Amino acid sequence: MHVVYPVVVSALLFSIGVYGVLARRNAILVLMSVELMLNAVNLNLVAFDVWLRDRLHGGQVLTLFVIVIAAAEVGLGLAIVLAVFRTRQTIDVDRLRALSERAPGEADGEVRS
Amino acid sequence: MIFVVALVVLLPFLAAAAGLLASRLRTGREAPGDRAAYRRAAWFAIAAATASLALTVWLVLVLTRGAVPAGEGRPFWTDLLPGRLEGTLSVVETGSVPVAVSLRADGLSVLAGMLVVVVALAVQVYSVGYMRDEPRYPSYSAFVSLFTSAMLLVVYAGDLIVLYVGWEIMGLCSYLLIGHWWEDRANSRAAVKAFLVTRLGDVGFLFGVFTLGIAAGSFRIDDILRADIPTGTAVAGTLLLLAGVAGKSAQVPLQTWLPDAMAGPTPISALIHAATMVAAGIFIVARLYPVFLGAQPTLDVLGVVAAVGMLGAALAALAQDDLKRVLAYSTISQLAYMAAALAAGSDRAAMFHLVSHGAFKALLFLCAGLVIHHAGSNLMSHMGGLRTAMPVTFWTTTIGLAALMGLPPASGFFSKDAVIAAVEHSRGAAQPFLYASALLTVGVTGAYATRAWLRTFFGPARIEPLPEPPPGTAHVFDGREAPRSMLWPVGVLAVPALLLGFAGVREVDWGSAAVSLVVALLGAGIVYALWRGAPDQDPARMLGPFQAPCERAFYVDALYAALIVRPVLRLARGVVRTDAKVVDGAVRGSGRATLGLSTLVRLAQTGNAQLYVTGLLAGLLLIAVAAVVLT
Amino acid sequence: MSALPAVLLAVPLLGAAALALPVFRGRSTSAYGIAVSGAALVLALVVAAVFDYRDAGRIQLGLDVPWSPGLGLRFHLGVDGISLPLVVLTALLVFLCFVHLARHRPEGGRPRALAFTLLVLEVGMIGTFLALDLLLFFVFFEVVLVPMYFVIAIWGGPARRAAAVKFILYTLLGSALLLIGLLVVWAQTGTLDIADLAARHGSGIPRTAQVLAFLAIGVGLAVKTPMWPLHTWLPDAHTEAPTVGSVLLAGVLLKMGTYGFARIAIPVLPEGAATLAPWLGAFAVVGIVYGSLACLAQRDLKRMIAYSSVGHMGFVLLGFATLTPVGMNAALFGNVAHGLITGLLFFLAGAVKERYGTADMVRMGGGMLRRLPYIGSLLTFACVASLGLPGLAGFWGEMLALLGAFRPAAALSRPLFLVFMAVGGLGTVLTAAYFLVMLSRVTHGRPTETVPAGPPLTSAEEIREVLGPGEPVEPVATGTAVAEVEEPARPTWDVTGHELAAWLPLVALTLAFGLWPKALLAVTTPAVQAVLGQGVTP
Repeated sequence: MHVVYPVVVSALLFSIGVYGVLARRNAILVLMSVELMLNAVNLNLVAFDVWLRDRLHGGQVLTLFVIVIAAAEVGLGLAIVLAVFRTRQTIDVDRLRALSERAPGEADGEVRS
Repeated sequence: MIFVVALVVLLPFLAAAAGLLASRLRTGREAPGDRAAYRRAAWFAIAAATASLALTVWLVLVLTRGAVPAGEGRPFWTDLLPGRLEGTLSVVETGSVPVAVSLRADGLSVLAGMLVVVVALAVQVYSVGYMRDEPRYPSYSAFVSLFTSAMLLVVYAGDLIVLYVGWEIMGLCSYLLIGHWWEDRANSRAAVKAFLVTRLGDVGFLFGVFTLGIAAGSFRIDDILRADIPTGTAVAGTLLLLAGVAGKSAQVPLQTWLPDAMAGPTPISALIHAATMVAAGIFIVARLYPVFLGAQPTLDVLGVVAAVGMLGAALAALAQDDLKRVLAYSTISQLAYMAAALAAGSDRAAMFHLVSHGAFKALLFLCAGLVIHHAGSNLMSHMGGLRTAMPVTFWTTTIGLAALMGLPPASGFFSKDAVIAAVEHSRGAAQPFLYASALLTVGVTGAYATRAWLRTFFGPARIEPLPEPPPGTAHVFDGREAPRSMLWPVGVLAVPALLLGFAGVREVDWGSAAVSLVVALLGAGIVYALWRGAPDQDPARMLGPFQAPCERAFYVDALYAALIVRPVLRLARGVVRTDAKVVDGAVRGSGRATLGLSTLVRLAQTGNAQLYVTGLLAGLLLIAVAAVVLT
Repeated sequence: MSALPAVLLAVPLLGAAALALPVFRGRSTSAYGIAVSGAALVLALVVAAVFDYRDAGRIQLGLDVPWSPGLGLRFHLGVDGISLPLVVLTALLVFLCFVHLARHRPEGGRPRALAFTLLVLEVGMIGTFLALDLLLFFVFFEVVLVPMYFVIAIWGGPARRAAAVKFILYTLLGSALLLIGLLVVWAQTGTLDIADLAARHGSGIPRTAQVLAFLAIGVGLAVKTPMWPLHTWLPDAHTEAPTVGSVLLAGVLLKMGTYGFARIAIPVLPEGAATLAPWLGAFAVVGIVYGSLACLAQRDLKRMIAYSSVGHMGFVLLGFATLTPVGMNAALFGNVAHGLITGLLFFLAGAVKERYGTADMVRMGGGMLRRLPYIGSLLTFACVASLGLPGLAGFWGEMLALLGAFRPAAALSRPLFLVFMAVGGLGTVLTAAYFLVMLSRVTHGRPTETVPAGPPLTSAEEIREVLGPGEPVEPVATGTAVAEVEEPARPTWDVTGHELAAWLPLVALTLAFGLWPKALLAVTTPAVQAVLGQGVTP
């Protein structure tokens, strides 16, 4: 199989992920999009590992790393999302603006510096 | 041997320390005016002054045994006291010209030192009575002791920097003692004025010391006198020294502080502002006289200053109503005589007049103190007819005034004659001017001395006891002669005031003496004639329209206030405004500018995480494209 | 090799660390503070005692161990004639501050934290004077900032926050420049050892680099000194700081700037110094006159003393600018004298403020000599010392600085320095003027019964209202912010035993150095000559 197929697939996956991260308002969907991007990278790593015939299989090893880290990241991310939902009753990313310089009043009541 | 000299200087200093510490500690716990503290302070002060006097007498005996140096034209003190003592206690390395902590005692310094200790002792004894009910007497007597020590340091210093130390401490004591009755704002202001005006001169003096010291490679007086200083440097250095002399000796243009300094207690006026400190300027010129002789332009300047000062101050004295201010202006005028003698090239005449003036002016001030103590006022318009009530004071004052006018046989006759003869025979650029001024001043001196004498002791009594005496100026009128402790010093001082002149009887120039005697009597006669016409009116009315300017001392004070004091204060306010608005404004402005910039940047921070990621992506793309295009 | 300098640093550091132990919770720390700072003072005196005065120009009691070998940094400590007086002065002032604190609980509370802060401050200050490695010097120089910030920000007056922020930002800016300058030196020579660099007298550094490095280091140090026009953090910091903060700020922190000139800027970069010395001198004399004029129109006592520091530090900088041994001596003497006298002045100002409830001279009215005779007399003494009366310590620094300016180093323009000298001389008159006017206003006159309360006065009319119609309005700056008076306390008690214990050593030393300047000059002269080398001596 030519390397171009998995690369194109992974590029498509990555683009979908980027779109999701930039455009979706639901925090869970944003997290899923991040996963998509990570998996696109994983696909790339495996494909190039095979194509380059790397004797140490660095690509596969790194993929395993990424999977582990991604799992941890999702765990943390979902926990944060849950916590946010509990306190704010919303997981709409557009409305979570506590860090803005001039925060809109309805999003939070925190102290602004 | 030099330790004896050091002891002469140190004893009053120790007395001052003891007086301040030992007496003050008690007044805090006990009632003010505590008699024990008062007595202890008096003992400290008088014992130290007596010991210094005894040691000075011993120094005189030692110095008479020296060998008289050969050669003509040596001053009389070298004839009297040919020996000399000198010693360096320590040398302070400064990295440049070292400062030698050295003392020297020779004829000149022992002569001046004798004057200082005698007058200081007299004043200390006198003060015991004068300041009897004064709660702050301990600090007063300690400051007088400190002053004595500083003046003796000036007199015996062997190094100009050491001399300058004493010179400035004298100024401080003068400040503290003028402001002794600090409850009154006017006294406080007079004290500040005295210190600042003399300090202004002292800065010039310090620079003059630098100039001479660096040119000679040493600050030691001996080395400076021996060094071969180029004329230009000598002129610059001596002119700068002259600034300090003018400040301390109250000469034109820095004379304005002395009349105001009369706000201090009268014994202080006698000691500091008549007999000793103000004479220090003259003493310095005499001490460094060989250098001054090598700088003729400086002597010419000194001559002009003296000529203007003596006549102006004498005219001002003629119009004053305050007895102490009459004497203050008279002091300025007499100091100008000494300066004139120095300008004319005769340090002998200057020192002779310095010593005799020290004696008779101290006497006059102490007598004035008796009168003021008695009358409860400084103003001559409140006095009159005191001849019968105060016979001792009357006679001693008469001796003092006779000496001031230059009437034989009082000391002033001989010393003033020496000055006038020196001026007459000198050959300076300012000589004619100086001589004319000196003769005119003799007449005016006769006039104001007679006026003060007549207005105080003759005519109708005008004494009105004040209901509540303000501190410092007045005591309750009691109609008696002052206590003995005050009369004794006066009586003792009257002896040198009367007889000291005979020491110079051999050198009298009878021709010029006769001329000046006639002029003095003429001035006295005019005033007497006017007074006979109307004994209850002020003879100063003969000045006519000039009376007001004379009384205000020709408006010099107002001029300085307008030209210097007020602009400086305005400048100070301007500086504070500038500091707040411009200098600090720039600092605060930079802070505000940074904050303003940050608000611009903060606008991008919307809180929308997706917007941030978009920016991140855009930046990444930009870098990727740049990497592709640029490589 | 001697461990004494390290022990001198370790004692306050361990003392501060021990304060974190739970043993001290809720206990009074005053005795402990006195004990630790007293131990440091004793150690400093031991250093002074074992110091070999015949060889004061050499660095003694050195301690030199590798610190970060990869970078070539060394932990190099030692004392010589330049640093020894300052080390002892620092230890003394910190000790006296603790003595003062024993009876004066800090207004912000938290005495344990204050003791901790002061001890850390002492480590930084003594370390700065002991350090002989450029980077070590910089580290200690910076260590001082943080505790001082807290001293002002926690225990200060009403406007303390702004003053503290201004202080730390301004001095950090100076430190950044200082660091750049030090790095330039490092880059040019490859060594950070001060003793080594000073022995080279600038050989190996090109002229341009020297000028640039001197500019950066000089400006960095000038902020701390402070030199006009970089002084505006000082009045605010002094006015707001508590008494101990003001004392240490004026007594020691300012000296760190001038010490840097004597230790680093001039010895390491002689050519840069020679090029920029006229500018340094010009700024110094402008500072003298400017500071004095600003004092003349101040109404707040502490602010006035702060501005007087600008003038006095001007004399110190003028001494450095002459690049002569006598000028350097003047600067070092002036440093110590200013530390003693201004420390005393701030102690007194604090005492006055405590009794009157305000430091505003108009509100205080006159008559302090009647109301508080001892404090009034001591204030008179301190002012007279500060205005440079011969026989007291302040004189010698000023006199020698002027003497140095009379004949500056051969490389410098003499007429220019003569002008500086004349202006400086006028500055001494102005200095006398503002101190005497202040004394006349505060200590003389009849006391008013109560201190009028109320918000700050800003115009001459209001002042006239407070004073009543009879009193003449003295020259004051309109618009200067004066702290609001909260509780007009009637001063009832004169000096206390603790206050006397804290003040009398300063009085005694002022007198001692004034009457016997040799005590200090004999220590500094050999060191100064070693620092300047033979080439610059006139």
